[in-house]
Amino acid sequence: MKPTQAQPTSYEIRVAGHLPPHWADWFEGLTITLEEDGDTLLTGPVIDQAALHGLLKKVRDLGLSLVSVCPVEAEPPAAQL
Amino acid sequence: MPVPILVTKLYAPPPSPKAVPRPRLIERLDKGLAAGHKLTLVSAPAGFGKTTLVSEWAAGCGRPAVWLSLDEADNDPARFLAYLIAALQTVATDVGAGASAALQSPQPPAVESILTVLLNEIAAMPDGFILVLDDYHLIDSKAIDHTLTFLLDHLPPPVHLVIATREDPSLPLARLRARGQLTELRAADLQFTPAEAAEFLNRVMGLALSDGDVAALETRTEGWIAGLQLAALSMQGRDDVAGFIEAFTGSHRFVLDYLVEEVLKQQPERIQIFLLRTSILARMCGPLCDAVLLDPSVPGQETLERIEHANLFLVPLDSERRWYRYHHLFGDLLRRRLGKPPELADYHLRACEWHEANGGLAEAFHHALAAGDFERAAGLAEAAWPEMERNFQTTVWLGWVEELPNAVVGSRPGLCVTLARAWTDAGEVDKSETWLQNAERALARETLTDKSKTLPATIALIRGDNAQNVGNLAETLRYTELALQLAPEEDMYLHAHAAITLGFTQWATGDLEASLRALYAWMEDMEEMGNREFAIASVFAMADMLVILGRLGEADKALRQAIRRAEAQGPEAEAVTAHHHLGLALLAHERGDDAAAARHFESAAELGRRTTLIDWHYRWNLAQARLRESEGAWDAALDLLDEAGQTYVKNPIPILRPIEAHKARVYLKQGRPDMAVAWTRSRGLAVSDEVTYPGEYEYLTLARVRLAEGNFAGVDELLERLLTAAEAQKRTGSVIEILLTRALVHQARNDLPQALAALERALAAAEPEGYVHILVGEGDAMRRLLLKFRSVIEKQTAHPLKGYAGKLLAAFPSPIETGSQTAITKQGDGLIEPLTNRELEILHLIAEGHSNAEIGRRLFLALSTVKGHNLRIFGKLQAQNRTEAVARARELGLL
Repeated sequence: MKPTQAQPTSYEIRVAGHLPPHWADWFEGLTITLEEDGDTLLTGPVIDQAALHGLLKKVRDLGLSLVSVCPVEAEPPAAQL
Repeated sequence: MPVPILVTKLYAPPPSPKAVPRPRLIERLDKGLAAGHKLTLVSAPAGFGKTTLVSEWAAGCGRPAVWLSLDEADNDPARFLAYLIAALQTVATDVGAGASAALQSPQPPAVESILTVLLNEIAAMPDGFILVLDDYHLIDSKAIDHTLTFLLDHLPPPVHLVIATREDPSLPLARLRARGQLTELRAADLQFTPAEAAEFLNRVMGLALSDGDVAALETRTEGWIAGLQLAALSMQGRDDVAGFIEAFTGSHRFVLDYLVEEVLKQQPERIQIFLLRTSILARMCGPLCDAVLLDPSVPGQETLERIEHANLFLVPLDSERRWYRYHHLFGDLLRRRLGKPPELADYHLRACEWHEANGGLAEAFHHALAAGDFERAAGLAEAAWPEMERNFQTTVWLGWVEELPNAVVGSRPGLCVTLARAWTDAGEVDKSETWLQNAERALARETLTDKSKTLPATIALIRGDNAQNVGNLAETLRYTELALQLAPEEDMYLHAHAAITLGFTQWATGDLEASLRALYAWMEDMEEMGNREFAIASVFAMADMLVILGRLGEADKALRQAIRRAEAQGPEAEAVTAHHHLGLALLAHERGDDAAAARHFESAAELGRRTTLIDWHYRWNLAQARLRESEGAWDAALDLLDEAGQTYVKNPIPILRPIEAHKARVYLKQGRPDMAVAWTRSRGLAVSDEVTYPGEYEYLTLARVRLAEGNFAGVDELLERLLTAAEAQKRTGSVIEILLTRALVHQARNDLPQALAALERALAAAEPEGYVHILVGEGDAMRRLLLKFRSVIEKQTAHPLKGYAGKLLAAFPSPIETGSQTAITKQGDGLIEPLTNRELEILHLIAEGHSNAEIGRRLFLALSTVKGHNLRIFGKLQAQNRTEAVARARELGLL
């Protein structure tokens, strides 16, 4: 199922270094995952482009090094029989 | 009225004695400046020492520095410009007075025309300076980027622009790079080299680290200065420095998070608490910290000084060590660590109370909002409006109110009305009306109090303004009259506001007598309210109305009287009479007294430099255009008309002579009827149209275009309709012009008896007030008609217009003189870059032997501006001085 226009898209923002999980609420509720390669993934719904740019500004303002930004498809609901 | 400016934004941080000297970077900046680069861009993430480097360089670069620290509110172009001008005034006090005045109006002129005026003034400044825009990443506005691009494209040589930012600005950087006009310092340049890191850690921070330790820290932080500073702070006073370095360099944790924790651990607990709790403050001073913490064991001022001394990321905002802020990055980290304790709302409320008591309504509002106290926030927004409106922050204010729940706003009729006013100012008539209706609903729920009893009248007044915005004069009149009825007897301000709106609306409908009455009433209110200067200032509008009514003598008398009263009142009142002198100059010009006109123009120019009336430049340019037109200097007149259009600031005085129509008339006189025809087409004008008063000038112009084309169909009927309307409203000035146009039309159709009849009626109306130019300005056709008229009445022994006709004929220039004008604008071929019209004008005055000061007075230019023009003229003519320039211009046939 493709997310419709109205649904927020999820994003995966990859930054270099390990960001402790308690930073999650600073990034408006994104999930923080520490990767083995030393990067951190910030994942979660972003309501629109303005919100995405706001998040990227926070990354910038913390002096974090941005590795990548990818839209990801929302998890499809479990198929019902 | 000066713009309230937060002076801490213009404060250049002094070079810190604790900073690491960075000769390699200073040298690059110096080189760029010496090479004449236009822009220095310092672009790097937070914590790379951008501000420190730029302030150190600025203090030692040998040029004065103009500093502007930007914030989010500067995304409003008007506010940005106001601060830019205020910043420039720190090195040149008289720069931008005119531009500031123009910005004061609710609908200021295009930013580019203000910038052009400003750039010309900057170009004339004798000494170079650098203009620093710090924290440019906080600007998120295309309009400001455009403004800055325009500024860069036209940057006059005295200025070197420096931008410090966390992200590259949307400016044509590639173009500047390609042209070698850009000095660029980026993160890789700014990060500490191992030697700088050693200098910083060991000398500045007083640690005694080995080369290996320094290298380890430098590697772990990648030369990031904020990281090194935090690391150093964590190590101060620690016994086990080696252990710290090992733990830090071995950790994968986010550098900042790790270090802030370490730094805080090094501080006594009460300092930790102080840092965390004061982090909610955007800027702080001792008493504010005291109010928030309520803890005598950490006295605010003393603690702030101690923190600054400890190098804990505290930035002083003034030289008195009164206001501070945390380094943005450090503040962010502290706030994140503070989190959301239950007492957070209390801290915000205490900060809110302090700011409110100390007049900082904007900050009080933000704290109330952060505390979740919407009622208080709503009250603050209401109270903050008048100042924010003056400070061009309508957009910011609207943004605030949007953060409040609709129910809270809707329950406060006063706030609803203010919100409607803000939307009206922003040109959003529909949104304004919605909130007016909300206000009425809220008012219906309560009984009127002392505070709310003015609201019904204010609502009507705003509806009147909205109707005016969409050009509905009938509705404007209806609502404004309603406002007058509803306004409480004693509310002079409301009465005055309604009266003036009514007056200007009636003016636009052509009912000049009603308009005059309304203006008199307004002036009386103003006198009674003690605003004598307003009353004096508005006499120029009264004179305009009297001129339209053909009462030149009365207009003249009123203007003179106002000037005398202003002189008695003092220099400030005198400055508002620039318009009055201009009015007298035009009256003298109309009556053929060129000497008096020149005198008044000179006084007007002098006072104009001091005036703050928003439409000064517009009026001055228009008056000059009329003067040049009457001299036959068509191109100069057209240029001035364009300049007038560019400097126009929207104001309630109706535009009765649209610039383009005026230009069409000049085209006709110039012998370019095709241009005038093109104008009638673009406006879609037809002689059969129904014409209302604001269209009178355009349709009279249309009649002249048809006359020039020899296409007379329907023209006389059009003129008859215009005449009937003008006579019904006793607009004698209009009557004379219409009759003269009609006389010319009949003359062109070889209907001499009709032509003479129309002329005679015009003369009879014009004679008592001594009109000259209105006839003489018509040129040779009118001269021939007047000659005919005189030969006809000569046979009559005592025709009452005999003397007048003779006087008029004597005032016409001899026909040969008018041909010589076009030579002026013919450009010499030997020039690399042609002279502009303004430069030619100045060159002529130089050739006539006028001093720079005299030229400045004549052309209404600052002395420094004249000198700037001179330099460009000399440059283009490759001359060293005035004598050489004149000689060279003669060789080239420019003179």
